[in-house]
Amino acid sequence: MRNLINKELKLALHPTAPLFLVLAFMLIIPNYPYYVAFFYMTLSIFFICLSGRENNDISYSLLLPVRKRDIVKARFITAAILELAQLTVAVAAAVLNHRLNNTGNDVGMDANIALFGLSFVMFAVFNYIFFVGYYRNVNKVGAPFVKSSAAVFVYIAVVEVSAHICPFMRDKLDTIGEEYLTEKLSVLIAGIVLWVGITLIALKKSIALFEKEDL
Amino acid sequence: MSVLTVKNLCKTYPKFKLDNVSFELEKGKIYGFIGRNGAGKTTTLKSLLNFVHPDSGEIRFFDKPFEQNELEIKQKIGFVSGAANYYINKKLHVVTDVTKRFYDNWDDEVYYRYCEMFALDADKTPSQLSAGMKVKYSLALAMSHHAELLILDEPTSGLDPVSRDDLLDVFLDLVKNEGVTLLFSTHITTDLDRCADEIIYIKNGHIIAQSTLDSYIESYRLMRFIDVSYTPIGALGVRRERNGFTALIPTSATSGREMEYDKVNLEDIMLHIEKED
Repeated sequence: MRNLINKELKLALHPTAPLFLVLAFMLIIPNYPYYVAFFYMTLSIFFICLSGRENNDISYSLLLPVRKRDIVKARFITAAILELAQLTVAVAAAVLNHRLNNTGNDVGMDANIALFGLSFVMFAVFNYIFFVGYYRNVNKVGAPFVKSSAAVFVYIAVVEVSAHICPFMRDKLDTIGEEYLTEKLSVLIAGIVLWVGITLIALKKSIALFEKEDL
Repeated sequence: MSVLTVKNLCKTYPKFKLDNVSFELEKGKIYGFIGRNGAGKTTTLKSLLNFVHPDSGEIRFFDKPFEQNELEIKQKIGFVSGAANYYINKKLHVVTDVTKRFYDNWDDEVYYRYCEMFALDADKTPSQLSAGMKVKYSLALAMSHHAELLILDEPTSGLDPVSRDDLLDVFLDLVKNEGVTLLFSTHITTDLDRCADEIIYIKNGHIIAQSTLDSYIESYRLMRFIDVSYTPIGALGVRRERNGFTALIPTSATSGREMEYDKVNLEDIMLHIEKED
């Protein structure tokens, strides 16, 4: 697996991946839908698969002494590393946000702990819809991305609107500082659990689909 | 020990069927897998490594079933399917550096020897290479981990005659010096005339012959005649030529006839056999 990850990072990684990590600093914009910063990383994962198709990544990988399932696993691990890396950079950006503008976010969720929990769920939605679609037919990368992006934007719309109209979200989760820490931490933990669980289900399904595919 | 055994391999597509494909490879021989475009060569080769899933059949490498021993088997074989068209904007040394880590028996010395022989510049990218040079690069990658079996899908396509000849020398050396077994598909029959020990002939998804090259060639003769309405009995694949017609006839059927027969080469056999339905 270490060799496959090395292949992912040295050959498959799209140049936008490290570039979009920096976009996590969009969290210092005073009023902004911060989920958009995380959406960029899903775009970058899509680019990896798209350029993989143009570069015959699957044909290359199949020639290596690896199992088909490990090719899928390596891609999932790469995506997970990128998602976690962006969330980690975003933590620094969120801290900076609190220092620079301590007034909250008028557009959507504040850059707080709950936002990270909800972003984990956003990544889980993306991972499931995109990868299950992609591994159904690795030659069709665009359609799964359109579907996953549509789902991600619906999700963003729902959580951002909820931050304005849903009392629990508005009054407890969408607040700055250390207020309602228990609620916010619960959302973070639930988000991580969902991200891990849904991504593992997506991995299992993707492996089954990829094993069946004629390449 | 059998290096590769394929038994009753079947795969049905809407417009094509691999039908009970069976053949066997022994250690230290060169096998030419011939057939015209679309006969099923690539589908068969892809089925061997499960890139394409056969509907039924048995595939054993080194007397072990592929599915349960995939990693071990893949370490012992080299597979080349056409030119290296992967990661076309990465430098060759980067692709090589990533690739070699996967192989327990990777040998840098052998790799650099092939690079020198094929005049490959490690600082170039596949996109900067001609089609022939890309083939040479994928061959260099496949032949540098002391594989016991090389499966090469049309390795000589796109190469100039001199490079093809050089490559056939490499194949002969590998078999003679290292006991490697080689299965390569091609429709360039002159390559096989020069180096193949055995041929496996596939036509419309059926294996129609597996035989030593010499005995296969000896099993047919070529006859010539002027008038097609007097086609001799037993003639196979009547083919028009400038001054009449030619056809194959099994050598066993030539005795007792008062006709002149020519010896054939693999191309003659293929051209006539493919005329038959």
